[in-house]
Amino acid sequence: MTAMSLNLPGLLMLGIGYLSLLFLSATAVDRGWLPRRLVRHPAVYILALGVYASAWAVYGSLEFASRYGFGYLAYYLGVAGAFLLAPVLLVPIQRMTRTHQLASLADLFAFRFRSRWVGTLMTVVSLLAVLPLLALQIQTMGQAIHRLSGSASPALLALGFSLLIALFAMLFGARHTHQHARHDGLLAAIALESLVKLAAMLALGGVALFGVFNGPADLQSWLDGAGHVSQTRIAQLDPGQWRTLLLLFFAAAFLMPHMFHIAFAETLDRRTLLQSSWALPLFLLLMALPIPLILWASQRLGVDEVGAGAAYLAFGLSTSWWVDGLAFIAGLAAASGTMIIISLALSGMMLNHMVLVAHPPIAQPDLYRWLRWLRRGLIAAVILAGWLFYRLVGVHHDLSALGLASFVGVAQCLPGMLALLYWPGANRKGMVSGLSVGVVIWLAGLWVPLLTPYPGLVLLPPGLDVLAGEPDWYSVTLVALAANILTFILVSLATQTSTGERAAAEACSVDAVVRPMRLPLAAANGAEFKQQLAGVLGADVAGREVERALTALEMSPLDARPYALRRLRDRIQANLSGLMGPSVAQDIVDRCLPYQHDGPVASEDIHFVENRLEAYRSRLTGLARELDSLRRYHRRTLTRLPIGLCAFGEDGELLMWNDALAELSGIAGEAVLGAHRETLPAPWNTLLGQILAAPQERLYKQPVSLAHGERFLTLHRAGLQGEQGEDGGHVILVEDHSEMKWLEDELIHAARLASIGQLATGVAHEIGNPITGISSLAQNLRYDTEDPALRETADQIQGLTDRVSQIVGSLVGFAHGGRHVTGAGFTATRMQEVTEEALHLIRLARSGDDIHYINRCAADQVVMGDAQRLQQVMLNLLGNARDASEAGAQVIIEAVPQAAYLHLSITDEGRGIDPEVRDHLFEPFTTTKPAGEGTGLGLPLVYSIIAEHDGHIDIESPPAGHAGGTRIHLWLPLYREGDEGPHEPDSDR
Amino acid sequence: MYVYRIMLFLVFGGYLLSPLLMSGWASPEASWYRPFLIWAGLIALTLWLEQKRKLDERR
Repeated sequence: MTAMSLNLPGLLMLGIGYLSLLFLSATAVDRGWLPRRLVRHPAVYILALGVYASAWAVYGSLEFASRYGFGYLAYYLGVAGAFLLAPVLLVPIQRMTRTHQLASLADLFAFRFRSRWVGTLMTVVSLLAVLPLLALQIQTMGQAIHRLSGSASPALLALGFSLLIALFAMLFGARHTHQHARHDGLLAAIALESLVKLAAMLALGGVALFGVFNGPADLQSWLDGAGHVSQTRIAQLDPGQWRTLLLLFFAAAFLMPHMFHIAFAETLDRRTLLQSSWALPLFLLLMALPIPLILWASQRLGVDEVGAGAAYLAFGLSTSWWVDGLAFIAGLAAASGTMIIISLALSGMMLNHMVLVAHPPIAQPDLYRWLRWLRRGLIAAVILAGWLFYRLVGVHHDLSALGLASFVGVAQCLPGMLALLYWPGANRKGMVSGLSVGVVIWLAGLWVPLLTPYPGLVLLPPGLDVLAGEPDWYSVTLVALAANILTFILVSLATQTSTGERAAAEACSVDAVVRPMRLPLAAANGAEFKQQLAGVLGADVAGREVERALTALEMSPLDARPYALRRLRDRIQANLSGLMGPSVAQDIVDRCLPYQHDGPVASEDIHFVENRLEAYRSRLTGLARELDSLRRYHRRTLTRLPIGLCAFGEDGELLMWNDALAELSGIAGEAVLGAHRETLPAPWNTLLGQILAAPQERLYKQPVSLAHGERFLTLHRAGLQGEQGEDGGHVILVEDHSEMKWLEDELIHAARLASIGQLATGVAHEIGNPITGISSLAQNLRYDTEDPALRETADQIQGLTDRVSQIVGSLVGFAHGGRHVTGAGFTATRMQEVTEEALHLIRLARSGDDIHYINRCAADQVVMGDAQRLQQVMLNLLGNARDASEAGAQVIIEAVPQAAYLHLSITDEGRGIDPEVRDHLFEPFTTTKPAGEGTGLGLPLVYSIIAEHDGHIDIESPPAGHAGGTRIHLWLPLYREGDEGPHEPDSDR
Repeated sequence: MYVYRIMLFLVFGGYLLSPLLMSGWASPEASWYRPFLIWAGLIALTLWLEQKRKLDERR
């Protein structure tokens, strides 16, 4: 029965109206008319994956179900199985394609097997395999038009629709030059197509179930009764055929160019891909459900399956125009979605692996535009090729033959894909020979017979005679896949694998032992990258690509760290791969951004490995997970070590910079990791260079100027030799020994004072006696003579001996100053009284009468100390102030309590102290007085007495806010209640 | 990650045993919607495993 309820203009209006709706929806999304939340919703992606349900799902499945009953479900269950395995199968592929910006199967294979010719071969195989599927889509459109309208030229009408579809793909699919980019408008339109075909199919199912039958119960009773006979006539697929079909459709889920494109080239996020593991099977379940209903309904209606063509049974369900319209729209939506994505995917493959390989875009003036137009041309070419194939094939073959020819061809890539994921030992020669053998068998057995009236050439090897008499698709699939796999394995095992291929294999393999190598680059920073790329890409494109990569990596263009530059190079290569495919990208990057091969031997990129491990952590199990926990523990130990630690590779690249070192240096690890030692900020470059070059393994207390002042650092170095003694770089410990150094300096100072004290005691003792003798003799001489000259001489001798006695007395005083046990005999002492007493003694001396002393100490300021020794301190300090002051000057003594101390200051208006001398004033024999006047022992004595009192002394010269003069600061511990009562100073002193 | 193994087991086990299932579907005594019920059950199982996997990865 041929339905004529829809006339040709009505049909054209329906078709063109539907395609216009697609244009409108894609435009609405691209112009931002729809909320972004809706456009980027996971459901949109999942529905876009429904592109798998091509015209086969609408018409082919009916044909298949009429022949093999529930066998038609293989088409849906195979792909559902593949998506069920998304975490182990699809996610690794997605990760690879995203990391290396691979937009198609050909890109992936060319990247893994390190050959542009592999990419070209994959493109040719994909094109050949997809042509029958494209022809199937166009044929169903033509047939539907012919059946509905009775049009005599369905092929031309189908061409018109195809051109509209091509226009859509050119407009919305080739918008970005980078193939690995999100086409929101396109995805939304494909999702809409999925919704439309699903709704139409469910409606057709509804018509069958409730229009033809009277609900599920009626259907069941028909199946148990009148329908039983027709059901028993249906052949059953034997288990082997069923499994083969499942395998074919399983492979199609990720090998078919359109599926690969939606799942991996449009940037679907990982979570959405995982959600699709149940959501896509659900979509397919709903798509599959109406098929048997339509079939049974047409059987009940007595539609002639042979005459109508089992594929188009839906047109016979009802005489209403809208039921026919639904069937037509379901087919058009399914066919157009598939055609759009196939043409996009194939155009990208052909661009990267045929056009650009044959004609590299060297110094193309406007590269982006040139690529965009080339791509649009290829999209049109692919769709036209599909139409031509349809014209060549004609309508002599049923949809199953066309579809299966396509799926069997694509399945020839399955061994290569599985090896890519799970067998790093596979090599190019093996893959190419296996694929070639498989493809030749497939072409001869299934593809060529589509175009010729001759039957397929199926060569059954000896031992497989059981396959004789089986359908061609079945025998060809088994023989081609078996030959493919066997050849692949044998050739891979028998031939050598290149180093580059091995590295790529490791990058692709799921359980890869990733060992990225470090080599320095010839270019020194981002700016040089631009210059070097400009030769091939042109200055504009080179600049934009480098900027894009820098932005993605959040890197500064001046970053010169070798690690960062390697990441930048990888990113640029990945981006160019998205633009022109991996082969051309690799050529350009290798040529423009070469590594320095004359440098040190490449070593493992530890930092990169660690970053990847961190990212992969959730996927590790068992031993790997335990090892990773151990790694993290050791890593943490080193990072949190309270001593500064850094590690260098043998090429001088910084591999580790722990927290303590970051705190000490004020430089965060992220800022310097991966940098070369020489490019570290000063003083670290020279300091670490010294320890790396030093013959000994330690450098003690190196003075270093850091942001927070002068520090003394001790560095230890250890080699990180490998097990075979090969150089593995160095680890350096950096200890801050500043405080220890300061303590040592104090100790040395104290020891020097102590030794001088001992010396002074001895000297005083030895000199004291002869001096007393000389003094007595001079006195005798003075009394014994009347000669005025002699008496003057005697006076001079006595004056000089007094001077010597005074020096000796000071020495003894100084020596005794060190002998007190700290704290012994300390009592509460009023500083006001001590100061007054000292001033009294000072005023007794004849010199310095005209100096004004002002004592501002308060009577209640009481310190803990020895009054006599503190008086000695004040005598010394006030004497110094007096000696330094001019006539009429003031000396002010003030005291202010400060926490547990009394802060005393003695300020004079004298000549001040030379800064060079100031640092040594507390060392014995340092004096600012003219020769013969000072002994240089007063201040060291003061220092030791103050130290005994747990006090502190400091010199300020000139004092803040004064042009000249000196201020001595003393801090003495305040007396606390509960200690001894106030002590009256000895007024005799 | 352990959930992945369950999925692998499920898919390959299902693949090998599916002809048995198929003969069950095709038996004339069965209800016409039985294959779809089994399939829906499988989808529910996948959904449940997917939730478990999320928890597993969060751990």
